[in-house]
Amino acid sequence: MIKLDYEHRQAGHCESGVTSNLLHYHGYEISEPMAFGIGAGLFFSYLPFLKMQHAPTTSFRVWPGMVFERATKMLGVKTVVLRFRKPEDSMKKLNEILDQKIPVGLQVGTYNLTFFPPEYRMHYNMHNMVVYGYDDKIYFVSDTLMDRLVTITYDDLLRVRYAKGVFAPMGRMYYPTYVPKDIDLKPAIISGIRKTANNMTGVPFPLIGTKGIRFLSRRMRKWERKLGPEKAAYYLGQVLRMLEEVGTAGAGFRFIYGAFLEEAGGILKQEWLREMAIEMGETANKWREFSYYGSRNCKKRGKADQSYDFLADMLLDCADREEKIFRKLAKIK
Amino acid sequence: MCDNSNPVYKDPRHGQSRELIYSYDKDGNFEKTVGFHGETDRVILQQAWDHFHERIQLAKDQVLAGKVSPVVYYMEKNLLDPLSLSMLSGISLWRVKRHFKPFIFNRLREKTLLKYTATFNISLDQLKKVE
Repeated sequence: MIKLDYEHRQAGHCESGVTSNLLHYHGYEISEPMAFGIGAGLFFSYLPFLKMQHAPTTSFRVWPGMVFERATKMLGVKTVVLRFRKPEDSMKKLNEILDQKIPVGLQVGTYNLTFFPPEYRMHYNMHNMVVYGYDDKIYFVSDTLMDRLVTITYDDLLRVRYAKGVFAPMGRMYYPTYVPKDIDLKPAIISGIRKTANNMTGVPFPLIGTKGIRFLSRRMRKWERKLGPEKAAYYLGQVLRMLEEVGTAGAGFRFIYGAFLEEAGGILKQEWLREMAIEMGETANKWREFSYYGSRNCKKRGKADQSYDFLADMLLDCADREEKIFRKLAKIK
Repeated sequence: MCDNSNPVYKDPRHGQSRELIYSYDKDGNFEKTVGFHGETDRVILQQAWDHFHERIQLAKDQVLAGKVSPVVYYMEKNLLDPLSLSMLSGISLWRVKRHFKPFIFNRLREKTLLKYTATFNISLDQLKKVE
């Protein structure tokens, strides 16, 4: 039996929480917003052709795995990321690594995750958690979403690691092997901010970044006429679920990013980043307002409480604010 | 949205977990709070589950009326769509869609049926009817 001395800290977002906690175990202190910001986790994309639970996919974050890989790379931390063809191999390797006293991060699907809150148990393959020990057929798990430590059986763990579907995890596991003694955060922060600013404003494609928000706003105006009130409410609900639900720490990561900008301003000693953080916080509150008014449409079936034009205008406002922020942030030195 | 009063859910198992949420207040501070779900989250999550239950009920009615095969019912029950069902079972998408017709489903070989039972984690007798 192995049970490592791993400190469980609850976090808003699963992947940046896992990154922060794993580095904490190896003796390097980094906050969750910092890991998220350096990993350039903030994003927006609206993909109407990719249906998820019968509605178009809206995403407020980058691809799964990017935050960990980018953050550790920028900090000079050496990591190992593995995928396996055979499920049994992946479990054998997991035990091997745990024997070396290294906690391991895993990408899992949430549908069969036994300890997970039942309201979230839909087919979603981008969840991350840490295994920090095992006993005979029992694994000890630290999930940053939960406020306590949990366990999972061998068979269940095997099933969630090999969940199939969109973004199938394929037994993906990752862990840091070497953490340098003194890390210079400044270039990492600057590069992270630049990357995010470019993702949000610099990509010439209409479905992502602030252009994507405007695109969604245009589509939203047509929903009620094209789809009927019931389906329109469901589509709106899907956007809100991606915005507020599990793992976004509120308002689609905008709060967490604001906290990062505030911290970054302190480290880089640049006063204007603090102002940006305030603007980001206000934008996040706008997003929250949007989800508040939007959820009233989802409440009564078929009866729109707020008109979709009103909601689309709120989205446009958010897009304008974010574009202003990221155009400024792109000039960081 | 974070709130320390626990709103009432239709399903008593829902809404029991406390989560960490960030927020921004008027004074310009970012704060972390741990708490239960607020009203907004309850509404949008409940909407999703209502939608799923509705689809399951509709599928059940259609199977009992003989319009579609039981595969549709079990697909909806496992919150899947045809594409993810085909990924999960390893049967190609157009074949999965074909198996939605009762006439085609009734003459399937056992080998194909076993793929579905393994996916839905049920026995062969259960697959042939809906309870």
